[in-house]
Amino acid sequence: MSLDISATEYLSFVHDGNISVEEFVAKTLDRIHLMENKVHAFITMDEQSALNKARSIDKKIQAKEKTGSLLGMPVSIKDNICTNGLRTTCASKMLENFVAPYDATVVSKLKQEDAIIIGKVNLDEFAMGSTTEFSYFGPSKNPWNTEYVPGGSSGGSGVSVSALECVLSLGSDTGGSVRSPASFCSVVGLKPTYGLVSRYGLVSYANSIEQIGPIARRVEDIALIMNIISGHDSHDDTTVKENKVDYQEGLDGGIKGKKIGLVQQMMGEGIDKEVAAATKNASSKLEDLGAECVPISLDSVEHSVAAYYTIASAEASSNLARYDNLRYGYDFGSEGYEFKAYVSKVRSSFGPEVTRRMLLGAFVLSAGYYGKYYVKAQQVRAMMKSQIDMAFKKVDFLLSPTMPIPPFKIGEKIDDPLTLYLLDINTITANLAGIPAISVPFTISSSGLPIGIQLLANSFQEKSLLQTAYSLQQTTHLPGVPI
Amino acid sequence: MVDRKEIAYLGDLVKVYLQDPEKYIRQVDQILNYFERLDKVEFDTDKILRKEVSYDNLRDDKYQKFLVDEKPLIDYLKKDQNNFVRAPKMI
Repeated sequence: MSLDISATEYLSFVHDGNISVEEFVAKTLDRIHLMENKVHAFITMDEQSALNKARSIDKKIQAKEKTGSLLGMPVSIKDNICTNGLRTTCASKMLENFVAPYDATVVSKLKQEDAIIIGKVNLDEFAMGSTTEFSYFGPSKNPWNTEYVPGGSSGGSGVSVSALECVLSLGSDTGGSVRSPASFCSVVGLKPTYGLVSRYGLVSYANSIEQIGPIARRVEDIALIMNIISGHDSHDDTTVKENKVDYQEGLDGGIKGKKIGLVQQMMGEGIDKEVAAATKNASSKLEDLGAECVPISLDSVEHSVAAYYTIASAEASSNLARYDNLRYGYDFGSEGYEFKAYVSKVRSSFGPEVTRRMLLGAFVLSAGYYGKYYVKAQQVRAMMKSQIDMAFKKVDFLLSPTMPIPPFKIGEKIDDPLTLYLLDINTITANLAGIPAISVPFTISSSGLPIGIQLLANSFQEKSLLQTAYSLQQTTHLPGVPI
Repeated sequence: MVDRKEIAYLGDLVKVYLQDPEKYIRQVDQILNYFERLDKVEFDTDKILRKEVSYDNLRDDKYQKFLVDEKPLIDYLKKDQNNFVRAPKMI
């Protein structure tokens, strides 16, 4: 029995009795033990509980009792999404031993459908980063070449799915954090429309732009999981009361007659030659399937990195003010410290990227600079939304490379934060505008590293976006992960 | 643009003791220089994005007990036996 199966294949195998849930979960755990010293995807495992749950689901299946639709599917969860009884560290020393007393809504929904939460996976500290190098627990490694970064911040999610350590994963996407690891690890990652998926139980970093999103091996698996996790939640007033959509139905509907805009500003300066060639090839393949691809210009993309990091840093500095190590936090005695000195001392345990963003956030919000940076960034955001609205009057989807370059070596750019920020140029547009975007694995570079293609759609158009992503996926025949 | 004094002030604002301020001076300065481009963008309007929610759609402003497994949330916090959160002295 291979672990290299899609979620839909898993359901079919378990349903037909070809495999038992316990057998699959046990084999998945064996795989994790084999792989973890190479790729380091997991921060916390929940082995015994996973096996117990698997046995209980097998019993229900044998007794022909009602089971949840996910039939014991092993799922990993990014470690900034709260899980009752299983620690949620945000890959930070500050929350090293924090155990949330409740489940995030997305986790509750998965559990209700009998998913098995196999463990919590690595990320850049508090989801701030795009390589997973800024984790207190050490970096995750790309299964396609373990000397290279897996993308981030949901690097553990991308790695765990790519390295066959689980079938599905949930990550969070604030500026490309689901799509970047999806692209770098040759898996599919969706950032849903803002308000489609509940953020209740997601540890806050930048509330106005972040979303929980799934990572899987196939587009059809993303559709499956979106049917479960999307929808209004009374615990999150930013979720919308849209009519329930079946994302799986009509997934193979094709893209004949659809118009796709190639965003010129996402394919310009700094883009790798192989990535540019892959994007052109993807557009040709979509045209072969009956779509029309046209160039389109979004001027605001040129200012998006500055606007995004201004807004994200401002929200981060505000959100992270709550971590004072008093109500929760790591064990550090307060004896001998005055209040302010104690708080400053314990907060110095934040890693360099979190500290940098808090400093930037405090600066751009401070009197005298607020109008120059923060207000301007919000105006850029409004301009971008307006341009996106105009673009979607002309085309059905936008297309770009997910990342401007293929994966790079661990440590190569870690001391150059601005260069790392600039790598987000193609992904942050979807976050600032609140629209959905998906990364689909498309090809492998000459050096054996994955290249993903990004598709963007108008708000709440996930169904047609997934149809287009599925069409693109059907044009590719990619090799399996080499590890 | 950003100097040692300013970084120390920012560190004070975000309540972080900076162990290596020099590193942050260089990096924060470089990033803020990049952010300067925001000041040169020409806008047609002063509009910023706002999400409007009608009053009827807001939840009732009333106290709701948050219980986890029948226990109040305070039971899950770091605290001493008298149910106080332990903190250093305020001077």
